[in-house]
Amino acid sequence: MAYAYLFKYIIIGDTGVGKSCLLLQFTDKRFQPVHDLTIGVEFGARMITIDGKQIKLQIWDTAGQESFRSITRSYYRGAAGALLVYDITRRDTFNHLTTWLEDARQHSNSNMVIMLIGNKSDLESRREVKKEEGEAFAREHGLIFMETSAKTASNVEEAFINTAKEIYEKIQEGVFDINNEANGIKIGPQHAATNASLSGNQGGHTSGGCC
Amino acid sequence: MASQEEENVTEAQEHVPGDNCDRDEGEPVTATRKRPEAKPPSDLASAEQQVPEDVEEKASDPSAKSPTGWGYLGSWGKSLMSTASATMATVGQGISTAIEKAETSLGIPSPSELSLDRKSESNTGDPVTETSDAAKENESSSPISGAFGVFSSITTAVQSTGKSVLSGGLDALEFIGKKTMDVIAEGDPGFRKTKGLMNRNSTLSQILREAKEREEQQIYDKVSVDTEKKAHYSLFFDDFQGLSHLEALELLSRESEAKVKCIVSALSGEELESLKPELEQLKEAFSLVEFEEEEDEEREGTEDFAQELAGLFAEVHVSTKPEKVARVRKAAYEWMAGLSCESQQEDKQGESTTVQSDHRTSVEDIHSLAIRSLAELTAYSIEMFHKTAALVLHGQKQDATALERGKALSQITILLCKELSSLSKQITTHLTAAGVKEKSDVLNPLITAVFLEASNSASYLQDAFQLLLPVLQLSYVQTHTELAEQ
Repeated sequence: MAYAYLFKYIIIGDTGVGKSCLLLQFTDKRFQPVHDLTIGVEFGARMITIDGKQIKLQIWDTAGQESFRSITRSYYRGAAGALLVYDITRRDTFNHLTTWLEDARQHSNSNMVIMLIGNKSDLESRREVKKEEGEAFAREHGLIFMETSAKTASNVEEAFINTAKEIYEKIQEGVFDINNEANGIKIGPQHAATNASLSGNQGGHTSGGCC
Repeated sequence: MASQEEENVTEAQEHVPGDNCDRDEGEPVTATRKRPEAKPPSDLASAEQQVPEDVEEKASDPSAKSPTGWGYLGSWGKSLMSTASATMATVGQGISTAIEKAETSLGIPSPSELSLDRKSESNTGDPVTETSDAAKENESSSPISGAFGVFSSITTAVQSTGKSVLSGGLDALEFIGKKTMDVIAEGDPGFRKTKGLMNRNSTLSQILREAKEREEQQIYDKVSVDTEKKAHYSLFFDDFQGLSHLEALELLSRESEAKVKCIVSALSGEELESLKPELEQLKEAFSLVEFEEEEDEEREGTEDFAQELAGLFAEVHVSTKPEKVARVRKAAYEWMAGLSCESQQEDKQGESTTVQSDHRTSVEDIHSLAIRSLAELTAYSIEMFHKTAALVLHGQKQDATALERGKALSQITILLCKELSSLSKQITTHLTAAGVKEKSDVLNPLITAVFLEASNSASYLQDAFQLLLPVLQLSYVQTHTELAEQ
């Protein structure tokens, strides 16, 4: 229940690449082959542990349809992490990555950690985008890269957790100002409690303090 | 900036005597939590002590509709409504200089002139003292309203300020009115008090998030069995993604507001004139929400609500349906129907219920269901508003005008608020029935909490509804300017 940090994530990418399926696999550990088109944005949340600390991921799963693009941009604000997803069986979804990346960088904070995901790795026979191409794109743009399968759950946990690890490291390095909510990071009650002596703001809750 | 705000809030809390004391004494603070940012009224405790009489009254004759009984929810619910709409005035603050230009070109009296008028008025009469007197009168006539005395005094202050402002020509000011409100506030103690309370720089989702964190913090502080049992509204609300949808809706609303300003500032005076009548009407559709609680037909039928909601929602003409809301409500009523069966069976069995009572649903369970249902209903309603906003902006289908949509949505808001109120009444009836044997100091805080969360839910809904105004304004202005271009 209590967490040390809360990270806001966004999942972006072309329609049909499996964004909602990745989220469902991550939060509910199940796969749903037929999924309704996402209207605007849907949400998911899950607790993970990094370095012995509970971290809550609050995930904004955006609509991939082009017509929703102007709306989904509004949701980028204040995200600490982004999963940029393409479909390894559809070359066009890979070709659109640059646009997505520009969009994400323009509408969110510059420190946002972006994880590039080549989804549907279970469909090896229909592969159109080589793993090396994904790796090269990621290297070129300073992203983390992974191939996943929302269907078989391969690498799904890793994708979400590695992104969180990267954010966590950035916090440790002092890159993120955790007191600025625009960075998509919030300090949770657990963390606040252990640091109660450091931040006077939390003082009111210590028992027997006032009367 | 944001952290400064937080500091102010904490300071304010520290200055309230009795706030922390209550917590330390193990009072069920979470159960009787008011609207999060409000200071706990000092007379709450005394009001609670007075409540028992009412409960007994109610228990002996559940159908009695005395004005001081639980049926009283209606009127304070309503006053909270006005608070909600007042809050909204502060939600989208700030205004572009471009609009100020438009303002002067329209020959509207400047905000500072208006504020001068207002200053002289506020010197002659002191709205705050007057209204707190009025609140005291209420207190003596009804223990319930006593508990909300602080609230009603504030709302009356807002209302009186609001009224004089509105009659002072807000309608001529278009949506520039917001700025006027701000300027006026500088010279008006009553208004400022309200604004301080509402913390004008924080959004509703922030307030709710802070409330949730406070509750989480409390759970973490004392991980006792006792607190785990208690139902936490804001935690439920977050679980059902109410917070996220609200935050998303706020993002859309803010963006729309900025876009409207941008478009309007680029228009000529003539073009702006032609937009005015409908924008005015649209705004009117959002300013209402004064509903007749007194009539209050008991709405037992699930079908009625679902049908009415579906019917109204169809008028909005967006490709989503309010199914979740209808489903949650149905589930809550089914659960309550189960409770009724339970108590009937027990009646048949007569006195030998010692074993039975173990199986009987406890008041805590009912309270928990109540809080959960209210949170779920509110969360899904806000989700519905958010999806509506997204689809309106998406502009797929323009089968309905912005005004038609605004009107339908306002009807939906009224319907949902009524539903929240009637649901809370029904549940508390069950609570009262199940808690006959409980001590009043166990039962009363639970009942109070249900009513409080119901009224909070209604104000969250109202606030969320107000967030749709800029969205519909944008949709209207866009269609209009597109037509003009053709």
